[in-house]
Amino acid sequence: MKKKTGLLLLAIFCSLLFVVAACSNDTGSKKDSGKNTEAEGSGSSGEKTLVFGRGADSIQLDPSKVTDGESLNVTIQIYDTLVKYNPEDTEVQPSLATEWNVSDDGKKWTFKLRDDVKFHDGTDFTAEDVVYNFERWQTGAEFIYYGYMFGATEDNLKGIVDKVEATGDYEVTFTLSEPNAPFLNTVAMSAFGIASPEAIEKYGEDYSKHPVGTGPFVFEEWVPDDQITLKKNEDYFGEVAKLDKVVFKTIPDNGARFMELQSGTIDVMNGLNPQDIQTVEGDDNLQIIRRPSMNVAYMAMNTDKEGPMADKKVRQAINMAVDKEQLITLFEGVGKAAKNPIPPSLWGYNDDVEDYKYDPDKAKALLAEAGYADGFDVSLYIFSNPRDYMPQPKVTAQAIQEMLKKVNINVKIVESDWDTHLEATENGKHDMAFLGWTGDNGDPDNFLYVLLDKDNAKMGSAGNIAFYKSDELHDLLKQAQVEMDQEKRSDLYKKAQELVHEDAPWLPIAHTTPPLAANKKVKNYQPHPTGGEAFNLVDIQ
Amino acid sequence: MAFQPEPVQEPASMLAPEKQAMKARKMWVDSLLRIMKSKTSFIGLLIIALLLITALFAPLIASHDPAAQSIVDRYQPPSGKHILGTDELGRDIFSRIVYGTRISIQIGLIAVGISLIIGVLLGGIAGYFGRWIDQVIMRIIDIMMAFPSILLAIALVAVLGPSLRNAMIAVGIVGIPQFARIVRGAVLSVKETEYIEAARAIGAKDGRILGQHVLPNCLAPIIVQATLSIGTAILDAAGLSFLGLGAQPPSPEWGAMLSDGRAALQTAPWVITFPGIAIFLVVLGFNLFGDGLRDALDPRLKQ
Repeated sequence: MKKKTGLLLLAIFCSLLFVVAACSNDTGSKKDSGKNTEAEGSGSSGEKTLVFGRGADSIQLDPSKVTDGESLNVTIQIYDTLVKYNPEDTEVQPSLATEWNVSDDGKKWTFKLRDDVKFHDGTDFTAEDVVYNFERWQTGAEFIYYGYMFGATEDNLKGIVDKVEATGDYEVTFTLSEPNAPFLNTVAMSAFGIASPEAIEKYGEDYSKHPVGTGPFVFEEWVPDDQITLKKNEDYFGEVAKLDKVVFKTIPDNGARFMELQSGTIDVMNGLNPQDIQTVEGDDNLQIIRRPSMNVAYMAMNTDKEGPMADKKVRQAINMAVDKEQLITLFEGVGKAAKNPIPPSLWGYNDDVEDYKYDPDKAKALLAEAGYADGFDVSLYIFSNPRDYMPQPKVTAQAIQEMLKKVNINVKIVESDWDTHLEATENGKHDMAFLGWTGDNGDPDNFLYVLLDKDNAKMGSAGNIAFYKSDELHDLLKQAQVEMDQEKRSDLYKKAQELVHEDAPWLPIAHTTPPLAANKKVKNYQPHPTGGEAFNLVDIQ
Repeated sequence: MAFQPEPVQEPASMLAPEKQAMKARKMWVDSLLRIMKSKTSFIGLLIIALLLITALFAPLIASHDPAAQSIVDRYQPPSGKHILGTDELGRDIFSRIVYGTRISIQIGLIAVGISLIIGVLLGGIAGYFGRWIDQVIMRIIDIMMAFPSILLAIALVAVLGPSLRNAMIAVGIVGIPQFARIVRGAVLSVKETEYIEAARAIGAKDGRILGQHVLPNCLAPIIVQATLSIGTAILDAAGLSFLGLGAQPPSPEWGAMLSDGRAALQTAPWVITFPGIAIFLVVLGFNLFGDGLRDALDPRLKQ
């Protein structure tokens, strides 16, 4: 029933949106500026407000409860992590922690914390707060990322993080049950933002609607399915934001969102239709901001389902039957064809893997060998809203449908909204399904372990929606996790990619450089490869 | 009243319907002539005829295979090779629209067929038997009418699952109340007439009276409603397909074509313009014809 109400709401919302978009553009901005001068009597030129237009609303503002970009892109403004990434890559730099070290056996991590940080609610930030947050994350299984990154399960809620202790007022020590090479990069992920324990206690169940962190912006208001407003944190310990306010506005339709950008009611937008890039480039008021590529779009084949998809030969044949060069032209220049599950920008990428060559005849021969000379029917589950790694899911699906028809495979496209799609694919309802992944921490583990390891092929919360269970791959990935030497890890990951290529649980489709479009008055917008960035450096002139 | 039908009465009662039929035939011819005289309804008829011909001879008219993709040729503006241009996958828009007429006609006929059969049955029963049956049926119809039609259709498809067939069923169900109300009203007035009383007097059963005497005399408003409903049904089904609840890819349904092409609204407007025009024309055609039909069949306008 969830899907049905979702669709219904979407439909109603879309129709309302047209009405609103048609009649409220001008009055909206006027009202804003009026309010601004009232609120900010001291500012001579009024407030600087950045309006960010996006395709979907946040689900929750507690980063430990979500995995979706639309939630994390907001929480990254409100929360800080122990360490954080460089603005342009996934190199780690100090944040709440000023320095850190790891014991020789790789099991003990010690972080020295800043002593001058306050939460937005005025309470001081100490080592005890870090411990409180980790213990909170370890008590329930809702923190999906925690499970992905630290191998936590229902039976072992702690995963590999054995102990978290405050070894001083401003020092915290982690004891791991086994070495974990990506650990430092992992705690820099925005999902591991440190929340105010006082606020968590105060709001209880409602906390995710009243987020309190230490970050550059303070939560102000959330109107569901409309907008989220944040204001500047004047006492931020890092670089204090140049903007006074940030508004995240939900506008589901890419075209409608683009029109709002053109008319100036929003300042930045994601999910630009590739066809509109030229329009932006030809517009004196607008600019394209290209996010560095660290993602992959793929079609997973459900190896767990009885029937053709369980057969390696069929999966290889499908890889051969899709003309990737043709397919990639549908990305209109924002994507490159993929042959591996991890993007080429990541270390450990195996460029020696040779992609399956487009060869429908060979594909047919393979299908015949597998006993499917006459073809078969399959479902292809797709999501309706464009994602950064796949700007046109339905068009891409129709192209694949037509290509597979030539080798007698009849594809039935099943389109649903994002939530429903995730629920269906995590439960393995599909034969084939589109999905993609944007790297969170710049470690190959974050792709290969999360998306292809048997540990993550659990019905109901699967990251591995091909339900591909290979012990050989599991051993390689586990070895790579406990190995601290990057050189050696890189070799292991290269081997893993060969294995995945041979077993073909996926049709890797593309790595994209997702375009954002912005008004030219927006300065210093540095898009981060992980898909989200704090706006404290952004300015409006 | 007549417990033993006398043999003499038999030929007399046989004669009456025959005469009636002749009169009716004359009425139909009259009406048709009257339609032809009205310019607007003639245009409507023309559009419908064109639509039927297109659907019938689609393979001959279409210049390309409607499903054939040529990705390098995507978003081509109208030209000699593709007279209405190509869409996001390089498919010929003209050929897709031509094949789409088949789907639209299918939707129109089947959806209206569903509303008509169920609606006439319910309306007929409610009007003829009256009392509590009338109350129950008409209150259900009232409830159905309380929903905005497209919302009810969306809800129905959401329950049945998105597909063209289910969209037709949903649109058909949504149309039932219209027919039920019209038929009930007509039946109410017809059943009080003398010839119905006469039929009852000679011992005809309820089913026979309803089927042979009442309903045929309610035909005119039903036909008008059916014609008008076809246009609405096509429009509603296109709306469902636009939302992804109707025709599934790669079907060249017009609403789905609109939906798929809207990403390129600014850069390749022809992708949505032509299917839009097609929907507009067909709905206009049925509406004009339906209006003309209503005028022609309305006895009050008879001169």
